[in-house]
Amino acid sequence: MRTDRRDFLRFSLAGSSMVALTGAIPNFLGHTAAQSPQAQQAGARDTILVVVQLTGGNDGLNTVIPHSDPNYARLRPTLRIQNFLRVNDTIGLHPSLTGMQSLLQDNAMCIVQGVGYPNPSQSHFRSMDIWHAAATTDVLNEGWVGRALRHIPAATSFHLANPNEAAPLALTGAPSRVPSIGTLDDFTQRLQAASAPDRRQQRDLLDSVSRPGNPQSSMLDFVQRTAVQTYASSQRLAQIGRDYQPRVPYPTTALGNHLKLAAQLIDAGLGARLFYVTHDGFDTHAAQLPAHANLLRDVSEAITAFYRDMAARGQGNRVLIMTFSEFGRRGHENGSQGTDHGSGAPMFLVGGRVRSGLVGDHPGLVNLDQGNLPHRIDFRQVYATVLDQWLGVPSRQVLGQAYDHVNVLRGA
Amino acid sequence: MNQNPQPIDPRWAWERYRPSDDAPWDLRKAGHLYRRATFGASLDELQTAVREGPDRTIAGLLQGRTDAQADELWATMSRTIAANNVGPDGANNGGQISSLWLYRMLYSAHPLREKLTLFWHNHFATSNIKVRSAGYMLGQYELMRRNAQGSFRTLLVDMSRDPAMMVWLDTTQSQRNQPNENYARELMELFSLGVTNAGRPGQRNYTEDDVRQAARAFTGLRLDNGQAVFREAQHDNGEKTVLTQRDRWRPDDVVRICLEQESTPYFIVRKLFRFLVSDSLAPTPELMEPLATEFRRDYDFGALVERVLRSNLFFSSHAYRTKIKAPVDFLLGIVRGLDGHRAAAAGQGGLGTVELSRTLEGLGQRLFYPPSVAGWEGGRAWLNGQTFLLRQNLALALTSTTDTRFGRRLDPAPFLRRQNAGTNEQKVDLLLRLFLQGDVPAASRTRLLDYAASAERQTYPVFWTADDAANHRMRTLCHLVLCLPEFQLD
Repeated sequence: MRTDRRDFLRFSLAGSSMVALTGAIPNFLGHTAAQSPQAQQAGARDTILVVVQLTGGNDGLNTVIPHSDPNYARLRPTLRIQNFLRVNDTIGLHPSLTGMQSLLQDNAMCIVQGVGYPNPSQSHFRSMDIWHAAATTDVLNEGWVGRALRHIPAATSFHLANPNEAAPLALTGAPSRVPSIGTLDDFTQRLQAASAPDRRQQRDLLDSVSRPGNPQSSMLDFVQRTAVQTYASSQRLAQIGRDYQPRVPYPTTALGNHLKLAAQLIDAGLGARLFYVTHDGFDTHAAQLPAHANLLRDVSEAITAFYRDMAARGQGNRVLIMTFSEFGRRGHENGSQGTDHGSGAPMFLVGGRVRSGLVGDHPGLVNLDQGNLPHRIDFRQVYATVLDQWLGVPSRQVLGQAYDHVNVLRGA
Repeated sequence: MNQNPQPIDPRWAWERYRPSDDAPWDLRKAGHLYRRATFGASLDELQTAVREGPDRTIAGLLQGRTDAQADELWATMSRTIAANNVGPDGANNGGQISSLWLYRMLYSAHPLREKLTLFWHNHFATSNIKVRSAGYMLGQYELMRRNAQGSFRTLLVDMSRDPAMMVWLDTTQSQRNQPNENYARELMELFSLGVTNAGRPGQRNYTEDDVRQAARAFTGLRLDNGQAVFREAQHDNGEKTVLTQRDRWRPDDVVRICLEQESTPYFIVRKLFRFLVSDSLAPTPELMEPLATEFRRDYDFGALVERVLRSNLFFSSHAYRTKIKAPVDFLLGIVRGLDGHRAAAAGQGGLGTVELSRTLEGLGQRLFYPPSVAGWEGGRAWLNGQTFLLRQNLALALTSTTDTRFGRRLDPAPFLRRQNAGTNEQKVDLLLRLFLQGDVPAASRTRLLDYAASAERQTYPVFWTADDAANHRMRTLCHLVLCLPEFQLD
């Protein structure tokens, strides 16, 4: 087996066709052939999940607005949103969410209301860990996405990271380290070349010195094979970066760039199925109105562009984008035109196969617990639904127990 | 893949290596020794080692040098970081301890000690992701460093009451009427016996009942103001049967029982074998037997390390380049090779170890944050497409002038000038000697020479001086040498 493989390598290299060596799918991330799962097989559908984390605690009450509730105006004397986008007689969306409103009209967006967990923590750190680990035990050191990846080890996954952003807890526990990447440049073999011919010469040299040729040393052979595959994949990804043209314009924000990168990687056919991206700044303790409007616009524009781009490529039914935040914010505003840490809040699910519209009732503003909105749906119910019905991963094994599903996906 | 179809003679393997015509002491062997026993060497260090011979060189590495000023600096820095342990909202300053240790590895006057401390860190793999205390993590580091060349027995006994370990494996959560089995299990599975008998493959070393009974013995250990204390009232004082021995066992008794098992010396010796000798050569019971027999006598780890480093097998082709460099070895091999540590000591500005330790995270080895209690998998798992590319790009960042992330760069151009490398041949050979002891296929050397020659003829941007162009060529050559596949091998 091993000899055959080496012979194959030699054969391919003799033809000097570096790309032929790696076949249709570059073996870029250490997986042996990230095979595309069969659509029929349960648990192996070729679906894609993009988790968008809104860091800092998104003000759910000003995102999905109970506009007809008199308590809303009472709790939010200065922060009340009056020019909301109407969803129905009782609920409206923040006016920054025009893109998402259009998705709602196109049957591609689901709003899950009042999501949280019992005895909520109002520490950013602790509550974020709880959402990442999908558990409320004292010690949390493994993430739900990482655990899910153990069941789909061939699924390539990416943490779309801001500069120096550490890998999130949610991704720990995966069978192989989930790479953090910021731009397609991270895949680029960098050289210090004085000119284009110089670059070409250096590349040729590296290709040439990396050719497997010494079957005596299994370790060297391994490094050489890794090198050859990496150089070929790197060039291919650079080509993809040049070839890829978004079908709709993306906003030039960090989140927009990250989701565009996700689209490029999906388009590249790398077998990528899981993406994790964060968008920070939601901790709006003061002067919330303008800041929150910008944040929600960023989220809405980026997600809408990504979904529409994927849909235009015929991939709309393969993608599911899920947003969450570590908590919502306090029902009543504080004295600095801001809001303090709260609990339950809505989640958004976007994709061609979501059950569009509102799921769950608004938590209401009457029986607040020390000013905090109650939750009606445990976030792990949403995770369980996504795991079982979307990724085809047994949620009980990932979450440690069974959770009732929520009705957020069509044809599930 | 063993190059030698005949089994290795265990007696020969662990006998002292004596230079001979068949196995001469040369630059290649000095480079091998410095890669495995330290974090890499400069050409001066390698040439001194060749002159002094293996015995004196190894003695020097085992003993190290003392550097009171550096120790004092370390004490101040670690105290400061431990005091600023936890930031607002529970976020902790974990990154600082990673870069602090990297700093010590880089500048240490006793690199073997740091390397062996890293071995123990991987063995007792404790992560600050759960411990969340720089002070505890640094405390465990000091415990491992203190015993790095000492008694494994002492280390294992003290580890049971190490605060970081007690948090990591839940000793602090263990109740008398509800013992937590985490530490007892890992003590047997990962720290001493191993699951199956390393001396007799296939035989299980302990039962689930052994774990449960041993867990009872560890009840009563608590942390009080950052110190381990033993609380009689919270200890299960009943009789326990652990690995067939029955009495009212306490924590130290269980550790003693584990150390008495036949498998334990084999388990540790195998791990050290993989760390120092080879990723690919199988540590068969026959091959391990001479070392295990000696090690079990009084668990003198320093003596074990010395025997391995001085052995025939260590300097044979079975060991040479049969490991993949760990990220710290890859990184520091470049830095120490180009005298990055000396330049800083001479007041020429230091490299930023904060950024460097972040880079290590990308390469898969964040110090004080092993991926699980089983430690880093190592070997081939270090390299995949992404980490390979990151390594090549890191080599570029360290040696080019365009990337300023790491503060002062390592500039290979002045190094080559200092060594009076005038011709392309001299430059290429010097870089190959420094980083690969000249041991590369002739074809690779020819390619480098061809490149150097054609680079001289190429057109450079008009605003470059002749010096700019010459420096650029030297840096490029250095980067290409660091990109040779052989440089990934340890």
